[in-house]
Amino acid sequence: MTTQAFVLQLLTGLSRAAILFIVAAGLSLVFGALRVVNVAHGSFFMVGAFVGVTVIEAVEGPAGFVLAVAAAVVVVAVLATLVETLALRRLYTSEHLLQLLATFACVLIFSDLVQFLWGERPRSVRQPRLVSGSINLGGVIFPRYSLFLIAVAVVLAVALWALMTRTRLGRDIRAAVSDPEMLGLVGANVPLLFTVVFALGGALAAVGGVLAAPQSTARLGMDIDIIIESFAVVIIGGLGSLVGTAVGALLVGLTFSFGILFVPQAALAIVFVVMVAVLMWRPYGLFGVVER
Amino acid sequence: MTRPPVAVAGWGLAAVAAAVAPLVATERQVYLLMSVLVLAVFATSFNVLLGYTGLVSFAHGAYYGVGAYTVALGALHLGLPPMAGVALAPFVTAVVAYVTGLIALRATRLYFALLTLALGQLIFLVTFQWRSLTRGDDGIHGVILPPALSAPVPRYYALLALAAIALVILGLVMRSPFGATLGAIRENRERTGFLGIKVKRYELAAFTLGGAFAGYAGAMYVLVDRQAFPLLMHWTTSAQPIFVTLIGGLSNFAGPAVGAVVFGLLRDYIIRNIEYWQAVLGLVLLLIILFLPGGIVEGVQRLARLVAGRGGGPAAPPVADTDREPAPAGRRTP
Repeated sequence: MTTQAFVLQLLTGLSRAAILFIVAAGLSLVFGALRVVNVAHGSFFMVGAFVGVTVIEAVEGPAGFVLAVAAAVVVVAVLATLVETLALRRLYTSEHLLQLLATFACVLIFSDLVQFLWGERPRSVRQPRLVSGSINLGGVIFPRYSLFLIAVAVVLAVALWALMTRTRLGRDIRAAVSDPEMLGLVGANVPLLFTVVFALGGALAAVGGVLAAPQSTARLGMDIDIIIESFAVVIIGGLGSLVGTAVGALLVGLTFSFGILFVPQAALAIVFVVMVAVLMWRPYGLFGVVER
Repeated sequence: MTRPPVAVAGWGLAAVAAAVAPLVATERQVYLLMSVLVLAVFATSFNVLLGYTGLVSFAHGAYYGVGAYTVALGALHLGLPPMAGVALAPFVTAVVAYVTGLIALRATRLYFALLTLALGQLIFLVTFQWRSLTRGDDGIHGVILPPALSAPVPRYYALLALAAIALVILGLVMRSPFGATLGAIRENRERTGFLGIKVKRYELAAFTLGGAFAGYAGAMYVLVDRQAFPLLMHWTTSAQPIFVTLIGGLSNFAGPAVGAVVFGLLRDYIIRNIEYWQAVLGLVLLLIILFLPGGIVEGVQRLARLVAGRGGGPAAPPVADTDREPAPAGRRTP
């Protein structure tokens, strides 16, 4: 393998890992605080991508891209708030399975909603001019958009870490992770906190969707694809752990991009083999804690 | 444990209805009823895990697919008659379910569910990619059935017999001491373990049994549609018996079968009449989850008890409660 081929494959893997991290971090955050495995997280990703594409098509230039992210975040946050307040909130006292199934029912609903609003045709957009093309360093070509995605993921990771450790909201979330009843007793508005966390998780999926759209396309079925891969990420890393999500995303992204070189037929299968192997070794994921 | 008379009457009525139905139905409706029979067996096999043992598995679609491929591949590569394939399918699937169950049962609860998701997808991907054996995404179409089964009505009766065999076997097993032990595990895993019962071994047995009958249902499916394709194994297929069981009610042996009839007919009606049928289906499911979490069977039982209570007579025996009220597996209980 030449240096160029290796670098390209590495960047493909890392940029995939970047998207996966952003999306799976939302999934993991929601699970940590609410103990809900949100299957509709993939739908939030898809809705985000379609909203983003629509805005980018309407507004030219870098402003369009920023606006697309903002619009996707707002739309998905509203959707997530609706799902949480209308459905999930009634199910917190019942079995995990019912919550999971409720979000699965939402997958069916959102999938048809997207088809109704945007049609069946996949939508593609160009990468924003500022970060398109590639840069040449010592004879090796680096695609700019991949570098951009990696940078965004790193920035978001730091921001999430700061949110969780440096702010009041983060402190409440961490308290909710360990004991929501106690948090309620000391006067925090736990139902509101759950809604905010759920919306925040959805917003992360939406950001991932907008960022992924120029690389792949916005299309029906992307909701199922991303949720499967995100599950793999959080299961490998351990649900509820930010560090675990990052490690899981890197592992899945790189396994996929290099796996496709050696066994093009079975790259995704290798990801699942890795996942099974990790769980056999550590049943709660690499950084997960034993389930309450 | 005697059967409540209502249940006997219900099964009797269902048997009569199932026997008479093809005589009054159109050919299309007979095919629909065949798929309902398959779904009933599929969902009942799933409820061995969910309702009786308290295990949530997302690999069930994969076992369904393994059963279907046993018949289709047997016919394609070995010239195996389809009925022999149907007889073989539960045993092949049992082996697959046993091996995957051995791995998945290293974890418990949520992580167990996610592990089954991974293992099921793995089986799906292997089937999808192993073109020389399975023909990959193309699938296998036009499995040739024996002439006696080529007309829809005889085929319906054959499937009815196959479904009855499966339901009777599963019903007997669940009423046996083995089934009672599974119930104990569902109610309290730890305490059952303290009694000296090897919990994992029982869970693995239930997982294998449920998997075997999912394979049997998959084999039945090939008799209906005469084909097998990878999507049968996808985890979205696994969601189907979950919904069916939920609609009917997981606290009762008949729940999944009732759910299969309602779900099968409802889905058929919605698909034919509404363009955005997925959304409508999702909405219906969401409403059931929110307002009737015990399913239709429990809803009817509750209604019956209400009527009996108003009549001033002795209250009906609380069958549903002792049978299975899913203890709110407390989010926060340690």
